[in-house]
Amino acid sequence: MSTKRTISIGLAGNPNTGKTTLFNAITGLHQKTGNYPGVTVEKKEGRRIYSGVEFIVYDLPGTYSLTAYSMDEIVTRDFILEDKPDVIIDTLDSTNPERNLYLCLQFQELGIPVIGALNITDQAEKMGIYIDENRLSGLLGIPMIKTVGANGSGIEKLLDAVIQIVDSRKTPRRSIFYGNEMETEVSKLISVIESDQIFSKKYPPRWLAIKLLEKDINANQKISAHKENCAIIKQTRESIDFIESHFGADSEVVVSEQRYAYIHGAAAESVRKNTGGNINLSERADIILLNRIIGLPIFLFILWSIFNLTFKLGEYPMGWLESFFTTLASFLSGYLQDGLLKSFVIDGIIGGVGGVFSFVPLIIILFLCISILEDTGYMARAAFIMDKFLHIFGLHGQSFLPMMVGFGCSVPAIMAARTLKNPIDRIITIIVIPFMSCGAKLPVYILLAGAFFPQNSANMVMLIYLIGVTMALLSAILLRKTILKGDPAPFVMELPPYRMPTLRGILWHVTDKTGCYIKKAGTILLAASILIWAMVSFPKPPEDIVNEISKTEIRIVDNVAQAEKELSYSIAGKLGRLIEPAVKPLGFNWKTGIAAITGLAAKEAVVSTLGVLYKVGNEENEESASLREALKNDGGFSPLVAFVLMLFTLIVPPCLAALSTIKAELGWKWLGFTTIYLLTLGWIVCFAVYQIGKLSWPGI
Amino acid sequence: MNILNLNRGASFKVKRVTLPRETGKRLADMGFTSGTEGVIVRSALLGDPIQIKILGYNISIRKSEAAGIIVEIPPEEKNPPRGEDI
Repeated sequence: MSTKRTISIGLAGNPNTGKTTLFNAITGLHQKTGNYPGVTVEKKEGRRIYSGVEFIVYDLPGTYSLTAYSMDEIVTRDFILEDKPDVIIDTLDSTNPERNLYLCLQFQELGIPVIGALNITDQAEKMGIYIDENRLSGLLGIPMIKTVGANGSGIEKLLDAVIQIVDSRKTPRRSIFYGNEMETEVSKLISVIESDQIFSKKYPPRWLAIKLLEKDINANQKISAHKENCAIIKQTRESIDFIESHFGADSEVVVSEQRYAYIHGAAAESVRKNTGGNINLSERADIILLNRIIGLPIFLFILWSIFNLTFKLGEYPMGWLESFFTTLASFLSGYLQDGLLKSFVIDGIIGGVGGVFSFVPLIIILFLCISILEDTGYMARAAFIMDKFLHIFGLHGQSFLPMMVGFGCSVPAIMAARTLKNPIDRIITIIVIPFMSCGAKLPVYILLAGAFFPQNSANMVMLIYLIGVTMALLSAILLRKTILKGDPAPFVMELPPYRMPTLRGILWHVTDKTGCYIKKAGTILLAASILIWAMVSFPKPPEDIVNEISKTEIRIVDNVAQAEKELSYSIAGKLGRLIEPAVKPLGFNWKTGIAAITGLAAKEAVVSTLGVLYKVGNEENEESASLREALKNDGGFSPLVAFVLMLFTLIVPPCLAALSTIKAELGWKWLGFTTIYLLTLGWIVCFAVYQIGKLSWPGI
Repeated sequence: MNILNLNRGASFKVKRVTLPRETGKRLADMGFTSGTEGVIVRSALLGDPIQIKILGYNISIRKSEAAGIIVEIPPEEKNPPRGEDI
C-alpha cells in the first residue's frame, strides 16, 4: 500500500453539546490524552479510518466564543492558527441553535473550512425545534449535518462531508456580514493589514481586523510584536472611535451584537420553533432540584450518599486489596531471607505502594459518582446552589466540587480544579484543598482518636474534619485579601439541560482519572516509599553497638529498645533528632517527629511509622489494639499530644503525590508557597493548641 | 431598569449591558445583546445567583452582574405576571 491519506480535524463546540460523545462516536477507543504545551488544558486526539482515509481528530476544549479571556479559548484559536487542521467540525446543540452558531461563525472567520454537526437533533425535535439544515447551510455557507452522537447516527455522513470539503479545496468565502457601517471600517483595516505581505500571510486579515475591533488582548499582542505596526494601530483607533460614537456602545460589544443580529436573521429563516411555551422535562426537574427550600437539602443528601457509597461500598474491595498485599508480603517473606532485600521488598515496596493502591477502589467509585453528576448536568446546579456561600469566602461556586473530592484524595481534587477558568480562583482552590481531610489521613485520626478518646472517638474525628473545612474557608479569605487579590471570576455559567449520561462516557472519565492515580502510585509514590524506607534503614549502627545493645538491653527491655537504637542511627533518626527542637514546643518527641516526616510520602505512613517505632508487630493498621496500647503507655503521648498530632497531620503539607500534582498544575512557585504556608500555619496552630492546652489542663 | 428590578417569572428585553470589559463581553457572547428576550427563572437560596432563560437555554449569573444588564419590558407584556420577588 502506498502512504495513506490523512485528514486532520479539529473538533470544537460549546460545552454541553455532546462533543465528547461525538468524539467517542467518531474515534472509538483509538484515543490518547495529553496536555497542550504550557497549560493544563487537556488535549485529546483520536483516529478513525473511513473510506480509505485516516482521520486524526483533535478534541478541542469546549468554549462559547473565541475571545482571549479564557485559557480554553486561547488554546482553541492558537491550535487553529498554528496547527492549521484541514477542517473544523463544530458540534452544535440543536436545542439551542443561536448561541451555538455564534461560535461556529467565528471559526468560519478564521478562514478554515468548517462543518457544523447539528447534534442532539433527536431531543431538539422532541422539544419542537426543527432545523432545516439545507436552508441553514445555504444561508451561512457552512455544510450542516444532523448527528446523534449517542447512537452514532450521521457520523459517516459527517466524514463524507469532511472528505468532500477537503477535496474541493475551498476555503470559506462567505463570512458574517456586520452591517454597512462596520464593514466599511473592517475593509479599511484589512487593506492596512494586507499592505504588509508577510504579516498578512500569518493571520487571516479579516479575522485579525475584527479581533482588533473587539479590542482583543491577544490580537493586540500580535500587532505589538509586528514591526511595521504604526498604520495598523492608527487605523484601529480610528475605526473603534467611529464605531463607538456611531453605535453608542463599546466596539467589542457592537461586534457581538452584529454577530447575533446576523444569526437571528439566519435562524428566522431556517429554524422552526414549536415549543409552545411548555416547560420541558429538564425545567420541571429543576423546579424541584433548584427549589429554594428543598434544593439545598437534596444537594446535601446527594453528597452524603456519594460519600457513604464511596467509603462504605469501597471498604470491601479495599479490604480485599489490603489482604492481597498482606498475603503477597507473607508469601514473599517465606522465600526471602531475613535481611536488607526482604525489608526492602516487604516494607519499602509492598508496604508503601500497597497502601496507596488499596485506595484505587475508592477513587473508582468516587469518580463514577462525580462523572455521573457532571454528565447529567447536576454539577452546574450544585455550583448554583453553593455559589453564594462560597463567594463569601472569596471562592467560586465551581470550587465546591474539587474541595469535596479532596475528602477522598487530594490528587484528583487538585486535578478537578481545572474546571475553574479564572487562574486566581483556581490557585486559591488548589491551595486550600489539602485542608479537606483526605482518605489517607483518616487512619491516622482513627488510630489516635481510638487510643486517646475512646469514649467519643467519632466526634473527635468529626471535629478534625470541621477544623479542616474552617481552615480552608478562612485561608481562602486570607489569600483573597492579601497575595491573590482580585475579584472572583464573574459567575456566568450555563445550566445545561439534564442529559442521560452514556456508559461509555462515564467509563472513559473513570479510567482516565483512575489511570492518572495509578500512574502516580506506581512512580512517585514508589520512589518516595523507597526513599523513606532507606532513610529509616540506613545507615545501620556499627556491629559492636548492635551486639552491645542486644547483650545488655534486649532481655530486659524487649526489642523496642533495639529498634529505637537502630532507628536513632538511621538518617530518619538523625533527622528526627535534628527537628526535635522544632517539634518539641508542639509536644512531640523525636519519634513522633519522624512519623510526621514519613507522613510526607503518604499520610497513612504516619500509622505504619508509629508501628515501626513502637515495634509491636509488622502489620499495623488503625484498628490494631496493640499499637493503641503501646501509644497509650508511652510517656511521650497524652490525649493533648494525640490531638495536636491529628491537627499536625491535617495541616502540614500533604503527601508527595499531592505536592507533585500541585507542581504539575501550578508550577514550582506555588508549590513552594503552599508548602511554606501549610508548614508555618500547621506549626503555629499546633504550638498554640499545645501550649494553651498544657496551661489550661495541666493533667492531660 | 435592570434585571434586579424584575420579579421571578418576568420577561424582559435586553437594552444594553453596562459592565466592565471582560464581563460585558462575556455576557454579550452568551447572547445578552440588545433586543434579545429572556425570562427570570429563579434565584438561589439567598437570592443570589439568579437563573435566567435566554435564547432557549438557562444561565446563572450573580446579582452584581445582573445589576449591569439594562432591560425593558417587552411591549406585549406591559403588565408582567405577578410573581414572587426574586
